[in-house]
Amino acid sequence: MVLAWMLLCASVPGDDPDNQHWSFRPIRQPVPPKVRNNSWPKNAIDRFILARLEAEGLQPAQAATQQQLSRRIHFDLTGLPPAPRLTAGAGTPVRFGAYEQLVDQLLASPRYGEKWGQHWLDLARFAETDGFEHDKIRNTAWRYRDWVIRALNEGMPYDEFVTRQVAGDELKPNDPEQQFATAFCLSGPDMPDINSQEERRQNVLNELTGTVGATLMGLQMGCAQCHDHKYDPLSQEDFYRLRSIFEPAINVVKDRSLDILKEKGATFGKSYLMIRGDWQRKGKTVEPGLPAILVRGSPWENSAEFRRPTNQNSTGRRLAFARWMTDRSNPLTARVIANRVWQYHFGSGLVATPNDFGLIGEVPSHPLLLDWLAAELMNHDWSLKHLHRLILCSATYRQKSETGNKAPDQGNQLLFRFPRQRLSGETIRDAMLASSGTLHHRMGGRGVMPPIPAELASTLLKNQWKASNELADHYRRSIFIFARRNLRYPLFDAFDRPDGNSSCPQRNQSTTAPQSLHLLNSVFSLDAARRLAAAVLRESDSLDDAIHGAYQRTLSRDPRPEEFKLVREFLTDQADLIQREFTRETDRPAPIPNCPDFDSSTAAAFSLFCLALFNSNEFLYID
Amino acid sequence: MIPLLYPNRRQFLSASGGGAGLLALAGLKGGESSASHLSNIAVRDNRASLYKKAPRAKQVIWLFMHGGPSHVDLLDPKPELARYSGKPLPESFGQVMTRRKVAQNPLLGPIRPFRKRGQSGIEISEFLPNLSRHADDLFVIRSMHGDSVNHPQSVYQMNTGSILMGKPSVGSWVAYGLGSENKNMPEFVVLPDPGGGLKGGPPAWGNGFLPATKQGVTMRPGAAPILDLKPQPQVSPRQQRKILDLVQNLNRDHAARRQVDGDLEARIQSYEMAFRMQSAAPELVDLSKETEATRRLYGLNRSGTREFGRRCLLARRMIESGVRFVQLYSGDTNGWDAHSDVKKNHTEYCEKTDLPIAGLLTDLKQRGLLDETLVIWGGEFGRMPMSEQGKGRDHNPWGYSYWLSGAGIDGGRTHGATDPVGLRAEKDKVHVRDLHATILRLLGIDHENLTFWSHGLEERLTGPGEAHVIEAIFNRGRQY
Repeated sequence: MVLAWMLLCASVPGDDPDNQHWSFRPIRQPVPPKVRNNSWPKNAIDRFILARLEAEGLQPAQAATQQQLSRRIHFDLTGLPPAPRLTAGAGTPVRFGAYEQLVDQLLASPRYGEKWGQHWLDLARFAETDGFEHDKIRNTAWRYRDWVIRALNEGMPYDEFVTRQVAGDELKPNDPEQQFATAFCLSGPDMPDINSQEERRQNVLNELTGTVGATLMGLQMGCAQCHDHKYDPLSQEDFYRLRSIFEPAINVVKDRSLDILKEKGATFGKSYLMIRGDWQRKGKTVEPGLPAILVRGSPWENSAEFRRPTNQNSTGRRLAFARWMTDRSNPLTARVIANRVWQYHFGSGLVATPNDFGLIGEVPSHPLLLDWLAAELMNHDWSLKHLHRLILCSATYRQKSETGNKAPDQGNQLLFRFPRQRLSGETIRDAMLASSGTLHHRMGGRGVMPPIPAELASTLLKNQWKASNELADHYRRSIFIFARRNLRYPLFDAFDRPDGNSSCPQRNQSTTAPQSLHLLNSVFSLDAARRLAAAVLRESDSLDDAIHGAYQRTLSRDPRPEEFKLVREFLTDQADLIQREFTRETDRPAPIPNCPDFDSSTAAAFSLFCLALFNSNEFLYID
Repeated sequence: MIPLLYPNRRQFLSASGGGAGLLALAGLKGGESSASHLSNIAVRDNRASLYKKAPRAKQVIWLFMHGGPSHVDLLDPKPELARYSGKPLPESFGQVMTRRKVAQNPLLGPIRPFRKRGQSGIEISEFLPNLSRHADDLFVIRSMHGDSVNHPQSVYQMNTGSILMGKPSVGSWVAYGLGSENKNMPEFVVLPDPGGGLKGGPPAWGNGFLPATKQGVTMRPGAAPILDLKPQPQVSPRQQRKILDLVQNLNRDHAARRQVDGDLEARIQSYEMAFRMQSAAPELVDLSKETEATRRLYGLNRSGTREFGRRCLLARRMIESGVRFVQLYSGDTNGWDAHSDVKKNHTEYCEKTDLPIAGLLTDLKQRGLLDETLVIWGGEFGRMPMSEQGKGRDHNPWGYSYWLSGAGIDGGRTHGATDPVGLRAEKDKVHVRDLHATILRLLGIDHENLTFWSHGLEERLTGPGEAHVIEAIFNRGRQY
């Protein structure tokens, strides 16, 4: 077995492009394979998945119910639960065409960009502050966040999406709005007050080069900063050649935060390789260029491509880079993003190491499917929404998350069921607000600050977290909460939000006691529960109605009879306790606003029932 | 083709025994799980690399003096500095990189005299009369050095090994490597200065790319030691238990309707752990059962030492209860950062901390805990021999002091030396990463084997370069 694995990894790149490491080979759209069960596939994706399952003697799971699917795609595309009416008639099969319509409707919703924008912001290690000691606010950082959301909502083709982020200023020098896209390159941590601004400039360049490599190219370029990459055919010179593409655009000024890329002229001085990555040890000069292994024998091998100024203010290096990145012959760009889209739908990618398509990255579980998707993306004008639609409409995606049989592939890598997924911290918060009807949908603008506990604020410098003045702002969607590098919003922090210090391609999914403490005890949780109680009680004629309403709003289904019984008992017990333990009504967890139609201790007990629903696994995990 | 049995290469590697060990997986007990945990090659088999005659600690207390205490005024006596006080730094020292352009300023002699202490005769300043009583328990490193003249970079480097943001802290690495001995409590606890404002902020105890369970959990003395530990005032403990029962009922039913799933089960357990923490944590921070003698030992009876003393006492209680790594910060935003007046600043901070720290050492010793506990003292850097604004000193990462105690280390010894004025480490130099390697070794971990796959790199605390354990620390024989 060891030998077999070593042989697999021995695909050391050579001169023949087809003999190279899998991710360096040209992308050709493969023909979907033949399968025995022709009634299951709904589109080409399913043929790739099913062929593999059939080869292993496995069966796909049954199709999910309408209720399960509705909840799944709402959270997946918009990060919000379905409105209660959308899941009525749970358990019934989906009407032909209705599902496809729902997919289109959700893809057209502005909520889509708010959900998927966060995926990209994780990759872009986005935050609205510098980090380090002073962690100062970057005044225009929010514009980049808004640009990402808007670009995704408008369906900007991915090639353009990439081009604008590395060379928006060179592409459209006269369009200031578009230039905020280049903040992608400068969204990492930075120390504006560092003594040596030359050290700072080089830190920024190194960080940027590593991030561009990992996020856009799927290559761990950063590993070649101090020495040749230990495993991949990337030399230290490759790193500094790539770095030099960005060098003219990085001008640091002491005590001034980074914002967007900007060049000062059509030519630029020399770039150097830094010996052992030490900013003080200049090595030989390097020309701007691309990793040799990827451009050998192509016109891009010639650095002349990088000597074509776009105008008198810009060297054109980055635009040239973007042209190469988005050229159909580039083997990485489309594969890397197709894999990411797949990953955000299914929880893990076809390549399990989404920022590393190099030799020690994982090999794809379904290499032909990955290439098919990558080609499909390019054939459809790099439309991400086209990819979403294909994936969501596949039978693979529409499976139940349960199978009857015990299958050998415990990791479900072959996808014989839909993988159950835990909501992110941001989505948990949004879902709590949405189900209680308090989510405020104003989009964009400076990050808002809902209140945080004083003991957290005190770990910061003074006044670094001041709750926003407008109450409505405390109920905005999570993506609009101020992203301070030195302090993540507590609920997000507990639920594995990345720290924004390096590109995060896939979040951890930890399960910890502090998460439970937060959901159970925080001011935020109880407030949301009390507001949910009020919303439900106000629209209900009876307590029984209200129980149904709370289940619908949080879990998108009606309670089962035995659950119903359990909840009734809970409400009676709690009302009794409340009456005995909190004689003053003002001390009780009353619904907000109060619901005078219901007995006050019962209404308070109902808040606690809502709190329990927010803490249930069914609320946190999507089947 | 990869055999189907091993869905991915890493599981395959660990299953085939390719140097994979399971020590770090011990951290998986106690109601937590993590995908990244399982897909990682954890600590390589540690038994092979155990240092045979090594003194071994099970746990760590790190007393972090934020701002940068002055080694030339506390632990590193420099008669030459006293002699040349007021004169410029001789040209033979060459160029000095400083934060605040103090290279041309006159030298400033030690603020207070040093004296020989204990049987070992280690020289310690009069700033630290109480610590001086423990001179024979200390292993003083006088040749520390790091890479940045800036606070946050040095705070990060001392805590995470990197001057850049975002790497896991030492405490997280240790928690990852050794797990917890108390399933009611987090493995890595941080007791921040109540003044707040650490330069660099909470990323100093961040988990970086390690699982979130390895993050330093901040605790405070008093009724609410951990964030959200208690229900809101509108929810009584009995009501909360009922809520929890309903949640667990719903969750068990939910899980029963689904195939076996570690995540769902782990979350059910995490609620039970959360519930246990609610009583365990307040008990842990409840100092009322400590004797009057103990309280006095830590200075709880005096206003100047009470605050830091309480946290030192808390640190001992955590260690006793099985918390793996406790880090205690002294110093608010400015802390020990004595730019304008070393005497004023260090008098204040030494008065706050000297007695409690001595009390902690005494208490650990009398309870038999010192041999299994590594106590570390030091800041993010030291201070310059040149003056700043007359009576102050600027940052100095090029040479400074740390002390280690406990862990079975023979005390009463010094290691390494700075140059005659205390500017740069000169003899037996100890880089920050060497200190990290030594800390891990004292815990029985080879720093090269404590690794985590992240972004295609096998990351470790000490980074890709070489790090050297201070071998002398393992030598026997007190020098008295």
